[in-house]
Amino acid sequence: MKGEGTNIFQRWVIVSCLILVSFFIFPSPLYAEAQADCGAHDTPSDGGGSITIFWSDSADLIPAHVDTLTVYRRAVGDSDWDRLAETTTREKLFLDNNTIDGIAYEYRLEAKDSVSGTQFRVGSVTSSPQWFNANRTVVLVGVLACLAVLAGVMYIQRSGKSFYVRPIRGLEAVDEAVGRATEMGKSVLFTPGWGGDIQRPTTIAALNILRYVATKTAEYRCDLYFPTHDPVIMAAAEEVIHEAYIEQGQADIYNADNVFYTTSSQLGYAAAVDGLITRYKPAAVFLLGTFEGEALILAETGNSVGAMQVAGTDSTIQLSFFMVACDYTLIGEELFAASGYLTKDSKILASVKVQDYLKVIIVTLLVVGAIMATFGSSVLSDWLGQT
Amino acid sequence: MDLTRIDKRIIYLLLLLAVAIPLLTKLELPVNVGPQTEKVFEAIEEIPAGSHIIVSFDIEASSLPEVQPVAEAMIRHTFGRDLRIVGLALFSEGTAIGYNMLSSIAQEFGKEYGEHYIYLGFRPQYVSAILGMGEDINSVFPLDYMNDDWTEYPAFAKVRNYSDISLVLSIADGSLPTYWVEYAGSRYHQKIVTGLTAVMATSYYPYTESGQLVGMVGGLKGAAEYEKLLGYVGGGQRGMLAQSSGHLLIILVVCIANIAAWRKRR
Amino acid sequence: MLRKRIPLLICFVFGAFGLAQYYSPHPIVVSGYSTVLDWVQIIFAFTLIVGVLSVFQIHLKKISRREKLWGYSIVTLSAIIVMASAGFLGGTGRGTAFVWMFDNMQVPMQSTVFALLAFFVATAAYRGFRLRNVEAGILLAAAIVIMLGRIPIGALISDYIPAGAEWILTVPSMSAKRAVLIGIGLGSITTALRVILGIERSYLGRG
Repeated sequence: MKGEGTNIFQRWVIVSCLILVSFFIFPSPLYAEAQADCGAHDTPSDGGGSITIFWSDSADLIPAHVDTLTVYRRAVGDSDWDRLAETTTREKLFLDNNTIDGIAYEYRLEAKDSVSGTQFRVGSVTSSPQWFNANRTVVLVGVLACLAVLAGVMYIQRSGKSFYVRPIRGLEAVDEAVGRATEMGKSVLFTPGWGGDIQRPTTIAALNILRYVATKTAEYRCDLYFPTHDPVIMAAAEEVIHEAYIEQGQADIYNADNVFYTTSSQLGYAAAVDGLITRYKPAAVFLLGTFEGEALILAETGNSVGAMQVAGTDSTIQLSFFMVACDYTLIGEELFAASGYLTKDSKILASVKVQDYLKVIIVTLLVVGAIMATFGSSVLSDWLGQT
Repeated sequence: MDLTRIDKRIIYLLLLLAVAIPLLTKLELPVNVGPQTEKVFEAIEEIPAGSHIIVSFDIEASSLPEVQPVAEAMIRHTFGRDLRIVGLALFSEGTAIGYNMLSSIAQEFGKEYGEHYIYLGFRPQYVSAILGMGEDINSVFPLDYMNDDWTEYPAFAKVRNYSDISLVLSIADGSLPTYWVEYAGSRYHQKIVTGLTAVMATSYYPYTESGQLVGMVGGLKGAAEYEKLLGYVGGGQRGMLAQSSGHLLIILVVCIANIAAWRKRR
Repeated sequence: MLRKRIPLLICFVFGAFGLAQYYSPHPIVVSGYSTVLDWVQIIFAFTLIVGVLSVFQIHLKKISRREKLWGYSIVTLSAIIVMASAGFLGGTGRGTAFVWMFDNMQVPMQSTVFALLAFFVATAAYRGFRLRNVEAGILLAAAIVIMLGRIPIGALISDYIPAGAEWILTVPSMSAKRAVLIGIGLGSITTALRVILGIERSYLGRG
């Protein structure tokens, strides 16, 4: 098993390195051809149907006082030229976005005014779609770096190393909050906010915490309410809570009616959850997920009924409201670490550790970029800025 | 009376009075135009007349009193510049709001449906809709709000995807501008501006500073600034006194609480 | 076994495709991606039906069992039926009953809930901004400058106030926000990778 892990890791690293190196070795075609005075080529990194025509301001091509350039096109073999467009000579680039892939075209460019003029031809050239968008190389490098770090950390985890995650008070408080609700004979309310949908990693992170909370409410036989604004989240939450109750051998007390859809409207949802808090006065309120304008309304209402509140969101502006109105707040990435932290699953903990290593890489790039920018070099920022 | 523990109902009452009384007066405060509003104004000024822009009504009924002056000012500017508007909504509640707002301002400027603006209605799942429009707007919105084929209007027939759109203007009360930036901006290099509620405005400074958002018009203050640039008095400037007295009251109660706490400690 | 593996396999295939398609402009990939986006919209439209059914199911149960505060359930269901009927029968254009109810009932009601925010901000500020130490003092001073800077009175007192507010928002506040955003971004990436690679399964309801 260990040997297999080593092989997978080695392959990952080799493939990642080869791809990275290849981007530096092979320059982009646009750059290479731009050295010529004029020409045409298939537009790089596109889905086909486009040819790029370029020219320089060399006096041989365009008289100094001429500003208008007319572009004509014909398919190779045709005798007639079609007038495509009029552009300015200063542009130095014209994109013909109406080509049919596979057909060879040639172009005639006329630069003239009432006094004098020149014309030149470029092509023939054929457009075709590309499989890879070279403009997104930097993002690909970033993703490969993430995967490489993840593979490395997973490999280390397989060798038996355990990872330390600092205590997160908000997560430590989950047991306390559910226990308090049970002692008071009151319910627990969990809501994932109005801003998210099931595709959002924040919602996935919230559902992971929900599973732990549901395990505890099942264990203590305490009522758990889950109002949401999204029917898909409702279906996923039903499944998560039901499974947690089955796992605890408490399927008989699981109440599907406590997991419900309110409305997709933001303030309608806020009013529904506010009403629920005011009527049922839960002893513990979990506001975990993507929250927007409704955050403070919910948190202040929870505060007014004396509930112990644990909140966490990826919305930076709402974090400040939660800090004031809630007992514990998970700040940004702490929410994503919750799954590993609560389940103690070594694989998930290892992936949480990946965040730390990636942060080191980003901070290093920031520092190097800042130093380079201070000394007038924008190489790194330009490279990172390509998307 | 312990001023460190004022009954919150008293604070609520004071705030209600602080906001309501100025709304009954007609006093106007002078407004200075901030850099964010100016950037949006300049971005719209730079677009050649006849170009197409998307105005997305990413709002709900709840925030309408605050966002309406912002949206009206920006739409008035675009119609005034003879830009062609492709209106749409990514929140269901924004659908009727958007149509009514666009058509009434169009009427004010003598603009015709199909010639100067169209309204495509609502599509759910905003991420999919934003991404889909990057490939083909017609596939996301095959028909307009009136169930007509909008590509039959000659002025809009050539609008295929973001490459034919000069600017996206997201009228928002939540995080929708983030999705426009993440999906239309990063992926399709679409220029984006937003007009939104004041509470959400601070979230977008990282995007405006990095250039991912060209600029933003935030809340009543932003609306007042935009109205000043356009030279008319609207809901933004009329609301400035109420907003000012509300802010001053909050500063006052915070100061009272701190002075009381300090005296108590002594 | 299949019940566990099939969702993970679907998740991996679509997750990996979603990741890979970003790098390809090829029409085959773009068309596949457009199809997936269409599916998402169609699936979501059907889930709305599930949501509405859930609302009806829960409230009808409450009414039939005469549960505590069941009267509110009648109001909820009546509102849904009346609003939907007005939309289906009379349309949603200008001057219709639907728009009248929207403008004169829904907008004021929802705006009222939104307006609660101002009251809650006032009490939260009253409770939260206490001058306990130097850090809290800096926070308080920044808050006052921003509150003054966002109203015309700030500029009447001094031009430095709106400029100071803008500086606080674009320099110290933004650098802190960016740091938090980087953490959130990394957390999102690793969570997404965990889901795609099948390491994270709690959200499926089984660990």
